[in-house]
Amino acid sequence: MRLPERSSTRGFEARPLPEFRFGDILRVLKEHEVRFIVIGAIAAVAQGYPLTTQDIDITPARDPDNLERLAAALRELRARLRTPDKDEGVELPIDAQMLGNADMWTLRTPFGDLDLSYVPSGTQGYDDLRRGARTETIEGVEVAISSLVDIIRSKEAADRVKDQAQLPALRRTLELVRQRESQS
Amino acid sequence: MGSRDLLREARLRAGLTQEELGRAVGRTQSAIARWESGRVHPSLETLRELIRACRLELTIGLANYDDSYDSFINRALDMSPSERVADAIAREVVYSRIRGKAVA
Repeated sequence: MRLPERSSTRGFEARPLPEFRFGDILRVLKEHEVRFIVIGAIAAVAQGYPLTTQDIDITPARDPDNLERLAAALRELRARLRTPDKDEGVELPIDAQMLGNADMWTLRTPFGDLDLSYVPSGTQGYDDLRRGARTETIEGVEVAISSLVDIIRSKEAADRVKDQAQLPALRRTLELVRQRESQS
Repeated sequence: MGSRDLLREARLRAGLTQEELGRAVGRTQSAIARWESGRVHPSLETLRELIRACRLELTIGLANYDDSYDSFINRALDMSPSERVADAIAREVVYSRIRGKAVA
């Protein structure tokens, strides 16, 4: 896929239109049999959270075999390191060992931004999140998504300003989901 | 989140069975099951004791009530999970254009 070209309009340099083809990202991860859980805003949105997001976050399992599969998927996705000063990201040699050497990766692909977090705040990683995870179809791809309870506890633990800002709507979403479940 | 949800979540997070939690607090498995079913509600003090047995702390605070998101959440809940994500992505595309990221 070709990224939109740069152009200038009305005296400022416009940046490329971000891509939000998260289904394509998920499809490639599934095709490579990567074990992962969708976390963060996309997982929350799938469960009724009313706001939006610009990237997709996942928690992959960190065992060596899974990291090999993850590396292969990321190479196919042409993932690059996301940086504030380079829209197109920075090229990096992706392999399993490199992926396992950091707890988090913020990546840019031609299909949208992808963040990896092996141990999201307040959790113990993939096995911990898998317990409460549910299976949903996102953009035509069946994936495991983190429960709202786990998303909330992670944002509470992270305690950044942006996490604090999201918590009221997340908590209210959980309440309304439970109200509907108890009525059905 | 009601007491039954809190209790079940704490127990599962601690990796305990109902019987193991009951043993830790000197209660029976059936007592734990009744609380988790919602048929019976533990007192606040008992709930705190149960949650501490899971090595977690129950925290309660007061905040202003805010239902301003309700109409948006209810609209989302009327959709399927896939439709919710597609709707959010469509809105994000619009917001990105408004923020000036789009190539005109």
